[in-house]
Amino acid sequence: MSMTNPSPPPVPAPPMSLVEELCLLSIEDDGTVAVTAGEPAFGMGVVGGCLVDLSLRGRLDAEVREAEGDEPPETMIIVISTEPTGEPALDSVLAAVAEGGEQSVVEWTRQLFPQAGTLVAQALERLESRGIIEAHEARFLWVLKSRRYPVIEGRELQEAKLRISEVLLGGAIPSTHDSVLIGLASISGLLRGFLSDAELRRLEERILEVGSLDLVSRGVERAIEEEIAFRARAMMVPHM
Amino acid sequence: MEITAQERGRATVLALRGRLDFDAADGAGDRLDEVLARPEGVQGLVLDATDLTYVSSAGLRVFLTLAKDASEAGIPMAIAGLQQPVARVFEISGLSSARIFDIRESVDDAVEAVTA
Repeated sequence: MSMTNPSPPPVPAPPMSLVEELCLLSIEDDGTVAVTAGEPAFGMGVVGGCLVDLSLRGRLDAEVREAEGDEPPETMIIVISTEPTGEPALDSVLAAVAEGGEQSVVEWTRQLFPQAGTLVAQALERLESRGIIEAHEARFLWVLKSRRYPVIEGRELQEAKLRISEVLLGGAIPSTHDSVLIGLASISGLLRGFLSDAELRRLEERILEVGSLDLVSRGVERAIEEEIAFRARAMMVPHM
Repeated sequence: MEITAQERGRATVLALRGRLDFDAADGAGDRLDEVLARPEGVQGLVLDATDLTYVSSAGLRVFLTLAKDASEAGIPMAIAGLQQPVARVFEISGLSSARIFDIRESVDDAVEAVTA
């Protein structure tokens, strides 16, 4: 009688990071990515997702420090551990923050914003390696190459949408992860991918109430609002 | 970070003392889980934050997780005695206005609210 070792139980896949879920939510039905990392709301949101992910994984923490005079208080990032997480997007942000000295969430979000394109590419690669999306090269007018990322089964995408819907429509109290996902997806316009304009209008108050219930995420939202306001002012300056 | 439990009628009052930062967050979360999992059950929960002197982002997550767990277990929960600068951190993070926590001035008010 031959003895065979029982096969080991399957190792559960690690939970999706915020950055992965934000990128997954940005993929349209045809596989195109709906927003670009150069847009402050999405690009800074991706940076913010990395900062919150690092905080949820015990690498960073944040605290409020009152400013002098009439300046608003700043939320400062504190490095707890520089041990890599094994996720390239998170580890590049962790390395930058660990080397850069103490700065506020707003400053880090601004400073890392130029890296958002790389962070998105790293998150998409990771989604591909997990078998959640597949990458396809496509040609536009037979000249310009573009990349599409069709979602393979859609289970993970549906799961993320369901969790968001349970909080927004069902009144559940969100986890920090889901609260930040709602806040950053909302400010990036990604909730439009599965909620109609009428639903978004109806849920506006609830989204504001339960989105970004986190010090880091609130700082990221402030950075996004300031950057958008700065760009709007720059557009209005008359050219000499 | 020190957490002491006291029964006040049908409410369990947990007094938080000290700093709730990254180092303290795990231990505080475990202690709060223990209270929620008591075999005799918890009818209502009050967090007395009068002597809570500091809370970081990791500490705030302890509050949000507890609120979620208590809500899912059907346990009414309130926070009492938030002092500056902790109240300021709640405000900046959006937790004061999220209608997730029933925030009361005094422990007596909070006990009454969770046992009404």
